[in-house]
Amino acid sequence: MTPTALQSEEALLNRIKKQQLIESIDQMSPIYLEGMKRILTVSADTELISAPAYYHAGVHAPSLNTFGSAISIIQDELSHAHIAYRLLRDLGVDTEKLIFEREPRNFKYPYAFDIPLDSWVELIVANAFYDRAGYTLLGDVYQSTTFGPWKRALVKVDKEETFHLRHGEQGMRKLNQDNSGHEALQKAVDWMFMLTIEWFGLPDDLKKHSEQLDYGFKGHSNDELRQIWMSTAIPLCIELQLKVPAHFDEAQQKYVIDCAFPAHFDAKAKRWLLEDGPCTWDDVMKRWKARGPSNEEFVGMVQRGKKEMLRLLEQPA
Amino acid sequence: MSDTVTTENKENKGRREALNESRVWQVYARRKYEEPLHEIGNVMADDVELAKVYARSIYDEFSWVEMVIVPRETIVTVIES
Repeated sequence: MTPTALQSEEALLNRIKKQQLIESIDQMSPIYLEGMKRILTVSADTELISAPAYYHAGVHAPSLNTFGSAISIIQDELSHAHIAYRLLRDLGVDTEKLIFEREPRNFKYPYAFDIPLDSWVELIVANAFYDRAGYTLLGDVYQSTTFGPWKRALVKVDKEETFHLRHGEQGMRKLNQDNSGHEALQKAVDWMFMLTIEWFGLPDDLKKHSEQLDYGFKGHSNDELRQIWMSTAIPLCIELQLKVPAHFDEAQQKYVIDCAFPAHFDAKAKRWLLEDGPCTWDDVMKRWKARGPSNEEFVGMVQRGKKEMLRLLEQPA
Repeated sequence: MSDTVTTENKENKGRREALNESRVWQVYARRKYEEPLHEIGNVMADDVELAKVYARSIYDEFSWVEMVIVPRETIVTVIES
């Protein structure tokens, strides 16, 4: 592949100022290209890994209809991953290597997906919480990104993620109709709520990649996106009388977290060690980098098929 | 390195590459008869029949009234954005 001549930072910022979208790699500057690759990789990896993560729980579907819905959501997620990896390939990334030859620990999806969803209830809460996080983040990209091909591709993603989170909401309402369902939901919410809060990343005062806002990759900061997520997730939990460690503070006119945050998490027991008090974001980064219990299994599920096919093809005729 | 090994490596490389599709097809569709076709995405496939299958299965977000695919390399830019 011939190396593409990139634009200067000044030329790129001028184009953005004129509200012209960036359409291809030859209209990008070096910083824009690297930043776009980084944010697209996170998005693609997140969509991709949700497929094995949801499948792991989808097999516990209580009926054919519900299993069908779960599989339909998984198919959507794979399509969303395809879209983001296609964009990366157009930016010169070897996506075959990226998907099939990368070490599991080097995938860039949120830590929450490394914690296995072990029941139908946990899958439903994942739809209501995790897909809402995806919807919040990608909805923001859809509104604000300066990269034209991604903006247009997100029409589909936005529509389908809405279906996923509605699936979660309706599923939670249904499960909540009796005491045992309510208790199972509360148990799932107890570990999954804080993992989703954490999903939005470092607080604004510690965030490193400022080009995400400067270059118009997205419109809102991490803390703002966390607020947007809470502004619909918390009312849902209140409606279902599920306890969450956060509330709307009238004086500050924003949602505030009522427990130690960030905090240590026992991944095997799926339990927040809130009694230890708050930890630092450095501790959280260490936990994220070490990845969680299902990282190798889920990446392995994605990579297995291609590896098996290559083994077959490479056998002497 | 023996010639046999080199030939085998070449063959293996060829087989590996056969798995990696490289042709890009732009996908266009419309939801209503009064609407024009518009670009909804793209797929990669070395074979037109597979490209049709991928386009149908990946871009299934609406009940389209029409969908077409065009090899990307045949598109000619007249006015650049």
